[in-house]
Amino acid sequence: MAHVIEIQHLQKQFGKFTALKDINLQLNEGEVLGFIGPNGAGKSTTIRTILGLIKPTAGQVQVFGQDAWQNAVTIHQQLAYVPGDVYLWPNLTGGQTIDLLLRMAKRTHNQRTDQLIQAFGLDVRKKNRTYSKGNRQKVALIAALAADVPLYIFDEPTSGLDPLNEMVFQQQVAQLKAQGRSILLSSHILSEVEKMGDQIAIIRQGEIIEAGSLAEMQHLTRNQVTVTTAKPMLELTQQAHVHQVHFKNQTKTSAEFLVADTAMNTVLSYLTQQQIQTLRTTPPTLEALFLRYYDTNQIKAGV
Amino acid sequence: MRQLLQSSLVLRANLRRDWIKILIWIIVLSGLFITVAAKFKTLYGTTAQIETIARTLRAPAMIALFGPVPKGGTLTTATIFATEMLIFWSLFLIICNLSLAINASRTQESAGLTELILGGYPVGRLAPLNAAALELTIVDGSFALITGLGTTLAAMPGSDLEGNWLFALTLAAVGWAFGMITLVFAQLVVDSHTANIYGYAFLGLAYVIRMLTDVQNSDWTWLSPLGWIEKSAIYTQNHWLPLGLLIVLGGGALILAFCLNAHRDSGTGILPEHAGHQRSRFLRGPLTLLLWQQRTTSLFWLLGLCLLGVSYGSIFDTLGQIVNQSPVVQQVLGTTGMHHLAHLQLLHFMNLLGVIFTVLASIAGTFCLNHLYTDERKGYLQLVHTRTITRARLYWVYLGFALVLTASLIFVALMGTMLAANQVLTQPLAFHYFAKVWLAMLPISWGFLAIAAVAIGWLLLGRQLIWFILGGSFVITYFGRLLNLPHWALNLSPFHWFDQIPLHTINISRSMAVLSFGLVVIVLGLIGYRHRDLQD
Repeated sequence: MAHVIEIQHLQKQFGKFTALKDINLQLNEGEVLGFIGPNGAGKSTTIRTILGLIKPTAGQVQVFGQDAWQNAVTIHQQLAYVPGDVYLWPNLTGGQTIDLLLRMAKRTHNQRTDQLIQAFGLDVRKKNRTYSKGNRQKVALIAALAADVPLYIFDEPTSGLDPLNEMVFQQQVAQLKAQGRSILLSSHILSEVEKMGDQIAIIRQGEIIEAGSLAEMQHLTRNQVTVTTAKPMLELTQQAHVHQVHFKNQTKTSAEFLVADTAMNTVLSYLTQQQIQTLRTTPPTLEALFLRYYDTNQIKAGV
Repeated sequence: MRQLLQSSLVLRANLRRDWIKILIWIIVLSGLFITVAAKFKTLYGTTAQIETIARTLRAPAMIALFGPVPKGGTLTTATIFATEMLIFWSLFLIICNLSLAINASRTQESAGLTELILGGYPVGRLAPLNAAALELTIVDGSFALITGLGTTLAAMPGSDLEGNWLFALTLAAVGWAFGMITLVFAQLVVDSHTANIYGYAFLGLAYVIRMLTDVQNSDWTWLSPLGWIEKSAIYTQNHWLPLGLLIVLGGGALILAFCLNAHRDSGTGILPEHAGHQRSRFLRGPLTLLLWQQRTTSLFWLLGLCLLGVSYGSIFDTLGQIVNQSPVVQQVLGTTGMHHLAHLQLLHFMNLLGVIFTVLASIAGTFCLNHLYTDERKGYLQLVHTRTITRARLYWVYLGFALVLTASLIFVALMGTMLAANQVLTQPLAFHYFAKVWLAMLPISWGFLAIAAVAIGWLLLGRQLIWFILGGSFVITYFGRLLNLPHWALNLSPFHWFDQIPLHTINISRSMAVLSFGLVVIVLGLIGYRHRDLQD
């Protein structure tokens, strides 16, 4: 499978400050890559090097097999981008801005543009100055989604959108994905990436700490189980692959714990013996994965 | 007053933000003023020197630029100083107040800072405006204090204590009054850009009225607040009435600003904003975008410079009058000789007009070019840079527009001068004189823009340097001879290299040298712009 974006050992320094230490990242054709990390981890800086807005200090950034810095303009012909913080010329209206952005990418205002304006419910007659963050984001999203290109890059696209518009966005991304487009989606909202992403890369302090498919990643984590039983679960802690047991009462009939997928069967048969009354298992969230990573590292670091 | 609650807190925050700017303004404004005052003794110490300069200053052209020379009584070093400095320094103080006023009011509100402090903290609704007014009062007060003390120490012959303080206070008051008026404009419109335009338009109007009335009939100068200061008769009669009037004007403006502010929502202006266009046919790329963004400002500049040209041109008949009209001189020169002398005088004045127009046009061009940087800083260009538009194209679009705008502004001003002048002159001035001034001034203005461009290209810290270069060149040429600057100092200003235009032919090699300098610097700027990281 061809790599739409391929980053190898990317480093970026601003003066003495190292923003990116060592970034390795691939976006495969037709896939959605969820790019997650906390604020200030280097997500936007990575995206800005992909777009050729800033020059790598070291390493390779290739988009469609071309160097991102050298061939920025050629690459831009085939991608659409929505920045994390959208700033628009205050004295233009939303409608004027959308038309301008489309034309600057040699595209035209067509039926799809109007559909998108309607779907997002944007009042295009208002001046950008009067728009909220979410509305400014909509302007950029509409201009980007109206483009017919193989690659879309969204930098925290829904941070200002309400849940309804967020859903509209997710539907649009699903459509693009169905059409075989490649999408880079950065976010610190993990559930968003989880819903849409095929591949996940986690960045922290300028380094990719984990990358892989969602299936691979989930393998690394554990289900959270909340259970109440009739008989006390005295032997629960001795069960294989059960972690972080926390009893909620003295009689040990109510508990919360983590268990790996592979051990679910044996643990469940034990719980059945104790006569299950209520049982809830939560699939692993990226939140848990993320927290787990931080926990282990902080423990290692002695924090 | 709960509305004014926490004004001092806002003021302190503002001062912490602006103190460097304020310090530079005060040092430059007071420092230069005192330096000139101290040097004046050596320039115009003797009666003969005073007589010579007084004759120059009495020419209508000079009255148009500097205001009238006091009539009656003996002229002293101090009265000459007052005549030369009054209008000019008032302009500086007004520009200082204007920029600080907009910055402390509308700019902060557009940036959302006002909303943050009003919405989230126990700060009175009128506190930000109050803090802005207090900031200007502190700046002008400090200027008056330092300048009053400084001129007293300089002890010019003919100066008196009352005059020194009246001078310092009048300058501060005129700056302050215009600052307060600017605060009113800041309430009317929703963005700092338009507020700026209103402020400068008002200043331009006040200046032109003063100039026209001074030349025609100085009784009418009372029409312009900028003319009031001339009525102070500093060092001769020392009238305090104009000072009082200015304070009343500024105070009235401030009260009006408070009323307007109290009756509007945060983040809006008094003047209504209409719903805009749903679609755009016109906007299709960086050039059309820039044209669209700059259309009002550019028209304002074009109209303003044309009017300025017309107003200068309309006094050309008076300017051409020979001051020394003694019968002996007339007899020696004859009528044609007199005409020739008048003609020479006008051509010389045209050179000075060219300098004024070029400086103003270069300011306009630099403002426009600076959008390449500020639009990047504000994040507007991140959506342009990620389209199929090369950085080189963006650079050339902004720079090209600035170059064309500057060239057009100088041309329009000169044409305005020519049209009006030839209406009033019995012997019209030929077009080629004006064309020559234009051709001589073009490379200089482009050179200025080139310096501004290279600073943006390489993100140089000296982005503000262009203002010092522009201001310095202007002061050297405008004031150079009055201050008897040595030859080398005069030569620092590029205007001085062409000071014989349109009387003589343009030194092509000099023009070429300036142009090549500009081109090299522009290309350097382009290289920088193409290779640097874009700002977030």
